[in-house]
Amino acid sequence: MVAKFYLLSFFILFSASVFAQNASISGRVADKNNNEPLAGAVVYLDGSKNSSVVNDKGEYALLNVSPGKHQVVVKYISYLDHSENVTLSSGQALVLNMKLHQNTQNLNEVNVHGRLLTENEAAARANEKNSDNVKNVISAQAIAKSPDINAANVLQRVSGVTIQRNAGGDDAFAIIRGLEPRYNNTLINGIQIASPSSKTRLVSLSVVPSDLLARIEVDKTLTPEMEGDAIGGTVNMVFKDAPDKREISATSSIGYEQLFLDRKFVDFSKKDIHTYSPSETNEANYIAQPGDFTRSNLDFKNIQAPPSETFTLSFGERFLNNKLGLIIGNSYQNNYFGSNTEGNIGNADPNDPDRRPVINDIYNRAISSRQILNNLIAHLDYKINDRNKIVFDNVFLYSRIEEALFNADTSIRGGNGGRTISGTGPVSITRQSTVTSQYIENIKLSGNHVLGEHLSFDWYGAFSDAFVRTPDQAAISSNILIAYDPATGFTKTPEFFDEIDRTWAHNNDKDFDGAGKITYKTKIKNALLEIKAGGLYRHKSRYNYEDEYILKNVADANGGKPAFTNIYTLQWSVYNVYGAGAYNVNNYTATEDVGAYYGMAKVSFPKLELLGGVRAETTSQDIHVLQDITNASEITKNYTDLLPSVNIKYKVSEKANLRLAYYASIARPAYFELVPTGSTGASNGVSTLGNPALKHTTANNYDFRYEIFPKADEQFFIGTYYKQLTNPIEFAYVGGNSSVIMPINTGSAKVAGVELGYTKFIGNYGISGNYAYNYSDVTDNKKINRLNPTQDTIEHRMLSGASVHDLNVSLLYRNKKTGLNAQLAFQYLGKTLVGRYPDNGDNYIQQPLSSLAFSADKSIGKHFTIFTKLNNLLNTHTTVVLHNFQNGNEITKATYLVGARYNY
Amino acid sequence: MKTKQLSCWIAAITLAASIASCSKKENTGVIKPVIPPSHPIAAGNISGFVKGTLLTGSTYTVTADINVNKGDTLLAQPGAIIVVKNNSQFKIQGVFQSMGTQTNPVSFNSDSNTPGTWGGFACDSAQAVTIQWTKIFNTGGPDNKGSARRTLVVAKPIKVDIEDSWIENGQDDGLGLFGGAQVTILRNTIQSGGSTDGEAINLKTGATGTVAYNVIFSQAGTGIKLETAAVVTTTLTNVNVYNNTIVAGGWRRGAAEPGRGVSAGVSAKGNIYNNIIVNCYHGLEIFTDDGNNNVNYGNNLFYSSALTFTDKTVTPNVVVNLRDGYYPAGALGVAQTSDIVSTAVGNGDPMFVSFDGSFLNPNGAPNNNDFHLKAGSPAIGKGNATYNADMGAYTADGKGNKH
Repeated sequence: MVAKFYLLSFFILFSASVFAQNASISGRVADKNNNEPLAGAVVYLDGSKNSSVVNDKGEYALLNVSPGKHQVVVKYISYLDHSENVTLSSGQALVLNMKLHQNTQNLNEVNVHGRLLTENEAAARANEKNSDNVKNVISAQAIAKSPDINAANVLQRVSGVTIQRNAGGDDAFAIIRGLEPRYNNTLINGIQIASPSSKTRLVSLSVVPSDLLARIEVDKTLTPEMEGDAIGGTVNMVFKDAPDKREISATSSIGYEQLFLDRKFVDFSKKDIHTYSPSETNEANYIAQPGDFTRSNLDFKNIQAPPSETFTLSFGERFLNNKLGLIIGNSYQNNYFGSNTEGNIGNADPNDPDRRPVINDIYNRAISSRQILNNLIAHLDYKINDRNKIVFDNVFLYSRIEEALFNADTSIRGGNGGRTISGTGPVSITRQSTVTSQYIENIKLSGNHVLGEHLSFDWYGAFSDAFVRTPDQAAISSNILIAYDPATGFTKTPEFFDEIDRTWAHNNDKDFDGAGKITYKTKIKNALLEIKAGGLYRHKSRYNYEDEYILKNVADANGGKPAFTNIYTLQWSVYNVYGAGAYNVNNYTATEDVGAYYGMAKVSFPKLELLGGVRAETTSQDIHVLQDITNASEITKNYTDLLPSVNIKYKVSEKANLRLAYYASIARPAYFELVPTGSTGASNGVSTLGNPALKHTTANNYDFRYEIFPKADEQFFIGTYYKQLTNPIEFAYVGGNSSVIMPINTGSAKVAGVELGYTKFIGNYGISGNYAYNYSDVTDNKKINRLNPTQDTIEHRMLSGASVHDLNVSLLYRNKKTGLNAQLAFQYLGKTLVGRYPDNGDNYIQQPLSSLAFSADKSIGKHFTIFTKLNNLLNTHTTVVLHNFQNGNEITKATYLVGARYNY
Repeated sequence: MKTKQLSCWIAAITLAASIASCSKKENTGVIKPVIPPSHPIAAGNISGFVKGTLLTGSTYTVTADINVNKGDTLLAQPGAIIVVKNNSQFKIQGVFQSMGTQTNPVSFNSDSNTPGTWGGFACDSAQAVTIQWTKIFNTGGPDNKGSARRTLVVAKPIKVDIEDSWIENGQDDGLGLFGGAQVTILRNTIQSGGSTDGEAINLKTGATGTVAYNVIFSQAGTGIKLETAAVVTTTLTNVNVYNNTIVAGGWRRGAAEPGRGVSAGVSAKGNIYNNIIVNCYHGLEIFTDDGNNNVNYGNNLFYSSALTFTDKTVTPNVVVNLRDGYYPAGALGVAQTSDIVSTAVGNGDPMFVSFDGSFLNPNGAPNNNDFHLKAGSPAIGKGNATYNADMGAYTADGKGNKH
């Protein structure tokens, strides 16, 4: 249905492209100094009657122009407007080449009329060059030409940014400058977004398709007007803005993953899944019956995976004499992916005099996932007059994941006996089906108002809502024993049925934001003074709900454990007939109120810009726990942070800046981490608890960067940074023998690094690359002394998530004549500490990995482009080592995608 | 039912014997003043935060979870009767003492008297636990997450004293003793516990002490399990396991996880002597992962009342050759010369006063057997004298099990 709708729309839009013409103006727009084409500049005819966007080759064309006198104006970000008067005779095809001067004046003037073009590379470089703070920007143009189809893939190519993924590969979060996702914030159109996660504040970047993005900005230093909860940095995903004239774009592609050419995709039936748990469907004290639980979602079948597909459609237009701009877009993806992992779980060996970890278990895990993404955006801007503008933005992100997970764990040591010889041992088997649907909705209404010659006022109100539901996650566990006897050889027992775990969960996170700022600008001799004062208030509320039922095997008349043969004939009894809804550890409600206000001043001399100020953020949290009455039932936390910052920019030349920055920032713990109850471990006695005493992290950040932009789309930068964190948060075992895992404040941490970036074109060939070296040191004072386990010891180590080396190199080919672009993108990630081992001396270290991707596109005719995106061409394995053995080796395979794009 | 009658009968005889021996001595009478118990708890419904004394002869109905705060003590006097409703649990952060006597035991049972209907004792972070002459029946109701609860669990380095008590018809482990607990587990009867999983006495993560003279009948999993298995490094689990009688255990968990009479794995330390292991799936298993041979063992008796057992629960049926399981293949343990290892039906029979010869029994099945030894039992006088001259829980010197 959806596909049909898209195709229909596609053809309707396509058929509307024929015009008659009498006269025309065409030509080339370039930089006055270096004659580089200024792609993205807009050529206006007589005000804004008719306009043309300059293409990659620097060309524009104004068709269907009536004979007579006309004024042609070219506008482009960071360039002075250029105007020419022309007279056309009937049928004339005038060639008008224009050269623009770079605007050396400050660009941060309030600009309510006209729109800054932001979607091409030149605009991205101009954005970086002219910004007050240290940032990296990726343009929509670069994204479209890259091998990447979602925001997470795009971000991993940014200097100093790596991506942390979960085992299934469906969650992806940004690590900026070696700082874990918890230390960074994620924005949509400049506004913080609500989180669908029950345990964290994070939003997975893999649910954001890249097609409708105008750009992604990574802010690495903060100014007082930016939110202060970013120690590593801020990821701002900016969606498409209304164009200056009608723009229609449609993209479609089809793809396949090599993994499913090598093995089958595991599917299960979704049709019988109950949305609500038995206690939600009925009343709270309903006694669940065995028949209340479905069987078909545990009936797994191997199928040939269908191809992955994507469709994107966007339409932009201006109405009401260009006062009203509109863009709506929808991006749909249906992806099939998976992974195979083999790993070894290791624990301390008390027999080893040195007490280092040894292998306890070997596991094999296979995951098959189908992910449906749908991203709908709508943007309206209305220019009331030259002094007032109102903008409405809506971003709706929908994601549904259907995941089948098989895990077979063979005990090597411990449990009910381990392995005797290779190939033997007790094997625990888990087969799990999960369907998760989530949506994230963001509405923003904002306004810009020029109040006078010196004064302007900007405001926004925003609502963000994240909802996720996992109905009936079902996991069946069973076990077999493989033994060896020299007399009889290998023997394998029947597969015994242990139990089935059914979990229903949903949660909702809502943010209400309001913010405003007043800007005062004046000129004092040759300096421009800009003073800003503003504030923000956010109310956040969240609930978490989880209900769980355990279905136990039914022993036969003699009392023995039954075998698992067929899900449809299996007998079970409901062990906890009331479910666990009322007491589940994941049941809590929370509110958070953040009030922030700031004052800042910026002085711009021709060569030097000084920006300084202070931001105050007051946080007030209240968490209610539906829990065990011996622990706390309510947690409140209140704190205020004063966050000063200074950004200094020295313009070495027109094209080069030296930047120096300092800022203070914070990171707030997730609500769940403050909830004082947790899950008690089953067999190993380990439990995970929240920690109400957990403090928020504070940091002082120092930055230095030199950057030069030799041409509009070329750059070189080198920068260095140093960060000092107080109260970093990590999960640790506490209390010696009592085996409790808790989020704690581990001493202090330091992070320092160097970043380099380089983009250069020679003829049709280009190279673009960046490299980041990251040093981190955390004083972890809660490591268990492995030789004397009742005592803690101090260990210095890398921060969790930090990669030592991060190198991206892309070889680019662009041929404007033939319309062929190609890109070969290579990434190298150095050693990364991905997990903290409880005893001193060891940690989980991800081994260096290299990956390669390729993309190419070729324009066909005026409106069509065909493209291909090939990812993970090296079949990169993610290997994690603990002490001297492989803890995990996750294998993913190459993905292939081909598609076509239509632009009007 | 019959078991209880039997044990009452034995108790009566023992009482008569002690009176008889007293009569030969000079008769001194000391009349103690009646000291009122501190914080007496009135009979009737109890729930929530409780401290004080559960009184002799009083009946209490637990209507919701009981919490004993750190620093508080809950003491049960002899003969206190506690009936637990609503799948409630005792959550002990302070001190728990259940001080029954042979003639007047304390009783904890659910109102429905069916297996798996209340939560037992969560003493994870208790300060001390002492249980004497106490009946704890039908625990193992699900916790908040739907997992089976142990009858009693300790996960801290505290003193745990459990003597002369009866633990019957649980759903998971009988006693889960972890986290460096210092244990004295003497002369208890643990029977018919674990639905299709769970050990009778599970000693892990640094537990130390003594487990002796216990009778363990028809446990789903292993009778007595020693393991250091840990997520974090801990001190070694180090327990002396002697003179226990373990019968018909390890069957309900199935062939993929056969239960053992006694097992020692992952660098557990201990001395395993003088135990009688009859009709269990596996006998004594010293797992290969116990690298350093920290376990000393000998003078144990292994017997089966049949040659093979056929598990008909599963298809294909599993035929278990019982004598191969005394010291299972692939494990480190080997028969010792001091052991009595049966070579045929009738050979090495410990000669229980009565035994029905059962293997696999349902969870909660009654125990109609008497595991005292008949005169002429090969187990008599064959024990390691360091622990006891005899094998098994019932010994001639009277130190053994009093049930």
